[in-house]
Amino acid sequence: MPARADQRIASATRLRTCFAPWRSSPGSFLPQSQRRADFGLAAAIILLTVRLSLPIRAESPPPSSYPPNVQKILTTYCYDCHGDGMDKGKVALDEFNSHAEMLARQDLFFNALKNVRAGIMPPDKKPRPAAEDQQVLADWIKKDILQIDPQNPDPGKVTIRRLNRVEYRNTIRDLTGFDFKVEEELPPDDTGYGFDTIGDVLTLSPMLLEKYMRAAETITREAVPRITRVPPEQIIPGTGFQGASCDAQRLSFYQPANVNHLFKAADAGKYQLKLELEVLGQFEFDPGKCRAIFKADGREIWTNEFGWQNGKKFTFDLSQNWQAGDHPLSLEVQPLLSSDKKQNSLDLRLRQVVIRGPLDNAHGTRPRNFDRYFWKDPPQSSQERRQYAREVLTRFATKAYRRPVEERTIGRLVAIAEGVYKSPAKSFEDGIAEAMIPLLASPRFLFRVEQTEPAGSHEKYPALDEYALASRLAYFLWSTMPDEELFGLASRHELRKNLDQQVRRMIADRRSQALIDNFVGQWLQVRDLEGINIDERVVLARDRGEERELEQRFHRFRELQAIPKEKRTPEQQQELQRMIDERRKRKQNQQNVELDEGLRRAMRAETEMCFGYVLREDRSVLELVSADYTFLNEKLAAHYGITNVMGNEMRQVSLPPESPRGGILTDGSVLVVTSNPTRTSPVKRGLFILDNVLGIPPPPPPANVPPLEDSEKGFTDHQPTLRETLEIHRGKPLCNSCHNRMDPLGLSLENFNALGMWRERERGVDIDAGGKLITGESFQDFREVKQTIVTRHRLDFYRCLTEKLLTYALGRGLEYYDVETVDRIVQAIDKENGRFSALIDGVIHSGPFQKTRSSSVSLANNASAPAVLIK
Amino acid sequence: MSSSPIDKLARERFAALTRRQFLRGLGACVALPALETFLPGKAFASEPDPGLRLATTSTGAPLRFGVVYFPNGAIQPSWWPKGDKTEFELGQTMLPLENVKHSLQILEGMDHVNATPGPDGAGDHARASGTFLTGVRVKKTAGADIHAGISIDQVIASKVGHLTRFPSLELTCDAVRKSGNCDSGYSCAYQYNLSWRSPTTPVAPEPNPRLLFERLFGAGNHGERLESLRRRQLEQRSILDFVLDEAHSLERQLTYRDKQKLDEYLVSVREIEERIQKAEHFGNPADPAIPTPDGIPAGFEEYVQIMFDMMVVGFQTDSTRIATFLLANEGSNRPFPEIGIAEGHHSLTHHMNKQDMIDKVAQIDVWYVKQLARFLEKMEQVTDVDGHSLLHNSMIIYGSGNADGNRHTHTNLPVLLAGSGGGALTPGRFAKFGSVPMSNMLLGLAARMGARDVDRLGDSTGRLDAI
Repeated sequence: MPARADQRIASATRLRTCFAPWRSSPGSFLPQSQRRADFGLAAAIILLTVRLSLPIRAESPPPSSYPPNVQKILTTYCYDCHGDGMDKGKVALDEFNSHAEMLARQDLFFNALKNVRAGIMPPDKKPRPAAEDQQVLADWIKKDILQIDPQNPDPGKVTIRRLNRVEYRNTIRDLTGFDFKVEEELPPDDTGYGFDTIGDVLTLSPMLLEKYMRAAETITREAVPRITRVPPEQIIPGTGFQGASCDAQRLSFYQPANVNHLFKAADAGKYQLKLELEVLGQFEFDPGKCRAIFKADGREIWTNEFGWQNGKKFTFDLSQNWQAGDHPLSLEVQPLLSSDKKQNSLDLRLRQVVIRGPLDNAHGTRPRNFDRYFWKDPPQSSQERRQYAREVLTRFATKAYRRPVEERTIGRLVAIAEGVYKSPAKSFEDGIAEAMIPLLASPRFLFRVEQTEPAGSHEKYPALDEYALASRLAYFLWSTMPDEELFGLASRHELRKNLDQQVRRMIADRRSQALIDNFVGQWLQVRDLEGINIDERVVLARDRGEERELEQRFHRFRELQAIPKEKRTPEQQQELQRMIDERRKRKQNQQNVELDEGLRRAMRAETEMCFGYVLREDRSVLELVSADYTFLNEKLAAHYGITNVMGNEMRQVSLPPESPRGGILTDGSVLVVTSNPTRTSPVKRGLFILDNVLGIPPPPPPANVPPLEDSEKGFTDHQPTLRETLEIHRGKPLCNSCHNRMDPLGLSLENFNALGMWRERERGVDIDAGGKLITGESFQDFREVKQTIVTRHRLDFYRCLTEKLLTYALGRGLEYYDVETVDRIVQAIDKENGRFSALIDGVIHSGPFQKTRSSSVSLANNASAPAVLIK
Repeated sequence: MSSSPIDKLARERFAALTRRQFLRGLGACVALPALETFLPGKAFASEPDPGLRLATTSTGAPLRFGVVYFPNGAIQPSWWPKGDKTEFELGQTMLPLENVKHSLQILEGMDHVNATPGPDGAGDHARASGTFLTGVRVKKTAGADIHAGISIDQVIASKVGHLTRFPSLELTCDAVRKSGNCDSGYSCAYQYNLSWRSPTTPVAPEPNPRLLFERLFGAGNHGERLESLRRRQLEQRSILDFVLDEAHSLERQLTYRDKQKLDEYLVSVREIEERIQKAEHFGNPADPAIPTPDGIPAGFEEYVQIMFDMMVVGFQTDSTRIATFLLANEGSNRPFPEIGIAEGHHSLTHHMNKQDMIDKVAQIDVWYVKQLARFLEKMEQVTDVDGHSLLHNSMIIYGSGNADGNRHTHTNLPVLLAGSGGGALTPGRFAKFGSVPMSNMLLGLAARMGARDVDRLGDSTGRLDAI
């Protein structure tokens, strides 16, 4: 809108509103102090006089900054608190004298948009704008303030991304066939915006580069075969050896034993046998000794004595000249110490016997992984060798860089390979392997380098080329490099044409489990589950209202134990013994609850399987919040108090309508990660829902929060429940604006304790899970909260999930200019009744996923665009 | 139980295997660099100003600077000693340090105002660790634009790092990182890193003792390490040549922000190159006659101890003169089943003035100090090249960026200084400074390390020399 017209409308509005009741008075051009005065009709008249008496104002009438339809909405719904002299939360919307001033506060309007959409503004009990008015407001903010071109929104610029640990591991696996243990060898990655895929925070230090270089050496050493033929190999596992009443997996040092296997040699020749044994001992010493004897064809070919060596593994290399045909093998154990000397236990385990042969090359086969790198024996002539090296290295480098490789790079690699394989005692394959090491440490491998389509290079927002697109798809959906099919399509420039079909294929593929693991693991924080410590005894005692007794018992027990045994009085000794006996009794009577490995694994699997089911079956994402099914095994079902689920395997279980479960928010995983070690945390849980489901996180707590103890002081007669404590805390004006948002949500989950189990009481008092959301909806329990989310707050959830998934997929935080992209995806999801495919397709087809700022534009924008971040 | 010879042997073997004994008799196992190596003007004849004596004590021995960080502050009444100057009694928390009391300076009045909320609101834990060695107000952001300052250890390393194989070592006992935002909208980077190479690049600490050891001395068993190290350096050179070329060709395609990212790569390449050159200059590293440690131990106590051992061995072999060690991330909620505490450390520090919770936090404080005590005692037992103890020739900070963990205060931080700095420090004191920026004290230590021209750090207002 041209500035002049803007002003004209503005003055007209002002004239009309001058004599309207005070709420419409144009206070914006008055000094702050005057606007704070008590207003009324009389005041308005006085103000009018003041205004007219200011000559400066008369010369240049202040322009209203809002178009009339927007002005009307703001006046009606917002100025009660944010205009006409009111500036709640230091926000006054009528203070802007020009459009330029508004542009300087894009963040303010952006937040206003978010709050109105989320139903937080106007607050409960105040009239709220209807959907059409909200739309008017949203369109105006997006277009006039955020200046987004809806036809071609700014796709932003993703900072070049280093592969994170997970991506590195998967890429190495797909590229070389070697499983590199990143958890041990590489430091953990930093996260930004909740995810470890963010280019800006994936830093690189000399230490990390050194580790990458070292990893490259390890990987090529382990993965690339150095010879073209190896003798056939057979592995006979320990279980392949049979014996009368003994198990080759556990042969006692105190029991004579004999286990046998019949090996069939296909050809005559020299064979190599690798005998792999392990001594299984306890941590405590055991004096046992034994002799082990290995026989082939009834003849002893190896013998050794063993003693207590804590869990050590041994390998022994033997060789045999064999004719074709049967060869009986046996392992015998002869005890050297009688069993009455036994203190603990000591066993010998036959892990496996690897038989390689005949060693004669004529029988050789290709070694493992050979075909991944090579396709023939190396040629003889130096010329042909160089040519073959070039082909091998071009193929590998193209895969490793995930795009065609420059000629000079190949030239260098070939030179490295040649330098090695021409030296004595080095094979052709040694040379190739040596050349692969620097490739795996190259920035072009470690970083995801993206280029744009040459055809669109003159455009403001050119499309990414198809190699870049293939990588984006693969790392988004699989957390790994593109496979042959994606790569092939990209090289023929046919990927965009077949995009939807490829996305379907990729989601159906097993590798999409990576999206579930990594996205869900971080979005819902279930990755943190393994590091969480919950004290089961304290939590359960709290539910029963016996926390204090337990604490006293602990205290007394420690006190007694601290006294050296010989100094205890008989009474003390008796008391201690009684406590131990009572504990044993309690243990027998009460359900034994332990948040052990198995339970944690099942919890994590439950959440991941729910997500995976919705993703793969293309169901409504609302089922993530509210579903009449979940995924359980016997252990987890028992933990939830659900019967009739047997066995360790996780499977889908239908839930009856009255079940409180169903949806990720009642998953043990989420309930546990949002708890403290000894109790639930309604604040964390409320915050979790606001952050990760509704997408409206409250601002961080202010400095100097009054301690919660103040809130506990009033209770002298009993230990207050969390609801009681929080109620007092919320009473403080400083706390209530945020806690009113968090607490009702968090408290509605109080029926689930810190272990994720259902409970009726906390501290012995019946739990009241009812309440009212800040957006006005009342509820009795969490089931009703879920219902409210999937109906009235459906769009909020779509938006939140879209923002999270887009952040994860792009590898950058969302910025204000992404709001249009997000809105469109949300509309598409709603149109498709929440189907997951609408979300995935929306992300993949979006501008930010498909395009980038052209390099020249990006420079200019970086300098001028204010960094308004979506909080 | 029988006491046959086999039995005895097995027991001894078992004893040798426990990691706690890792450094038993280390002094005898490590071939120490000869003293002459350190004498100024000889080994470093190329030093521009031989009088500057970088990171060197008055006897010519190496001078070490170490920082050990513990999370969540300390229970104040238990922490502070009674008395003044050289006449003081250790408080409850520091009692385990009685044996090394003569090497301690407990500093009162160390402040980090930039860790206070100021305009940034919540996030005291992120700020506490982010500010600890940088003195700056770290930028409140969840990711894209983390910004702190260069930390004092890295400032010193940039001056004296060329003297040793490794400019500095960074250690941690926090192998698992949380996902999501860490503290009230601050990136996790502030809580999991103490050292910052540049305002935007934290130096990620190494959590794995095995990898740390192999980096220092090479992989493999005693006797094989030298060969493996040499082979690696050769390979590294050829890798670096190639990747540098690739990086330069890539650089031409990139725009501003991407270039910055690639710059992290280029800087790393350069540093590794320098290290290889340096390694040649230094000749062969020590090959301690001790087994390479396994990976990360299961128990926390063992874990902390072996990381401390790594620090000792790193200093003793003069592989580095600078080390920082993050015992656990600031805000750590680790429970301490070792001493019967089920609740998380951080949860407990918000103790609501309940005595039982306060007691538990105090017990945790003691636990950490006990680990420190063992470390300092070891440092004292090891004899350095000049006949003094390793502790004598060191300056070790032990402290936290939170004072009162309950209220999140950042003035009068619990900080102590161990070691005599080769005579440059005056330990055996309870030194009261009223209220000064801790950055001033850090500058005082930097000056002793030879970084005399560094006169600013974060909020510093001068240099505190009276330590």
